Amino acid sequence: MADYANPDVLVTTDWVEEHIDDPDIVIVESDEDILLYEIGHIRNSVKFDWQTELQDQLVRDYVSRESFEALLSEKGISNDHAVVFYGDRSNWWACYAFWTFKILGHEKCLIMDGGRQKWVDEGRELVKEVPQRPRTDYKVSAVDESIRAFRDDVLEHMNSHKPLVDVRSPKEYSGELLHMEAYPQEGALRGGHIPGAVNVPWATAANEDGTFRSADELVEIYEKGQGLTKDRDVIAYCRIGERSSHTWFVLTYLLGFENVRNYDGSWTEWGNLVRAPIEK
Amino acid sequence: MARIQEIVREFEGADQQEMINLLIDYSEDLPEIPQRLAGHVDRDLHRVHECETPVFIWVEVADGRVSIFADVPEPFPTVKGLVSILISAVDGLTPGEIESAPADFISRLGLAQRLGIRRVRGLSAVYARIKSEVRKHGAVT
Repeated sequence: MADYANPDVLVTTDWVEEHIDDPDIVIVESDEDILLYEIGHIRNSVKFDWQTELQDQLVRDYVSRESFEALLSEKGISNDHAVVFYGDRSNWWACYAFWTFKILGHEKCLIMDGGRQKWVDEGRELVKEVPQRPRTDYKVSAVDESIRAFRDDVLEHMNSHKPLVDVRSPKEYSGELLHMEAYPQEGALRGGHIPGAVNVPWATAANEDGTFRSADELVEIYEKGQGLTKDRDVIAYCRIGERSSHTWFVLTYLLGFENVRNYDGSWTEWGNLVRAPIEK
Repeated sequence: MARIQEIVREFEGADQQEMINLLIDYSEDLPEIPQRLAGHVDRDLHRVHECETPVFIWVEVADGRVSIFADVPEPFPTVKGLVSILISAVDGLTPGEIESAPADFISRLGLAQRLGIRRVRGLSAVYARIKSEVRKHGAVT
């Protein structure tokens, strides 16, 4: 059985439990639900909120380099720390935080396979106590936007007939729904998908318990099933870029694709953009 | 209506952490739905489809007072807290009072600014649903 291309980037719940007091790691919880951390979290973990901390509050963008430095310094994360992300909804927001940290150049990032739900289902300890971490002086060494696609990149990519992966539900892809099922508040004026994009819903890459599928299964889905190859540039998108950061993680780290970009503007940008080509 | 004012005052000026703490209290205070509604055959009719999370609302009017019950499954404490605020604001009022309850009640709480707009948009739909259910009962004159 094949192994993941970068198996070291995934850690198990067992591993996390053993490393809770490891001074070289910081465990980070990143959730859609803003109360879950307060209700109970893995001991010694710190909270990052994707919406109010990792995104700029004025411009639609992630935070600036300076704000990221201030945020990580305040939370007691140094450049040398290995950061282990976990969260709700099969690690959507953990993957989104991982992606954001990577853009801002954080070197050692890991994902706890299965996320919060697996930890809870296994009956492991949750605490309410917030760790008091000493301040650090975090410095962003380089911003890496090679893993992010903007609308003009997507247009060029599409015109060159390079692979695009739409990770939304089949009904969103077909244009039958203008929003994710049960998420009507994040709609777009037009429905459908970017011409040429294949549809592989994000959850295809996840098991029932929120863990990632095996390397063999992932090869079957993305390479054999969709004809995607490791050497070709791929752009993944969804509605706001959170589900596609899950797929971006799978293609980049688990399958070892060389150049995958996440289009965080996604359908809420493309489906509202005047004259953007759409296929149904 | 005094209760609505009280809630607005409670949230006014709260920073993010205070708001989170308030929401946790509210989520814990949301009463369980009565047994007779738990296995309701028409459960899906009571779902508020505009909410990203499954939220079920029952509105009853008896002796001129409105009773509201809500069911929000785990693990969605934020949604549970938000729904609980609404119920706490309008449960027990008369149909007429609910009809004239301020339309901007939710925006006055400042939740979108503190918690991020994506998390609170569905709440207006729950508020609208409560108002329309009360109207449907035909008790508003």
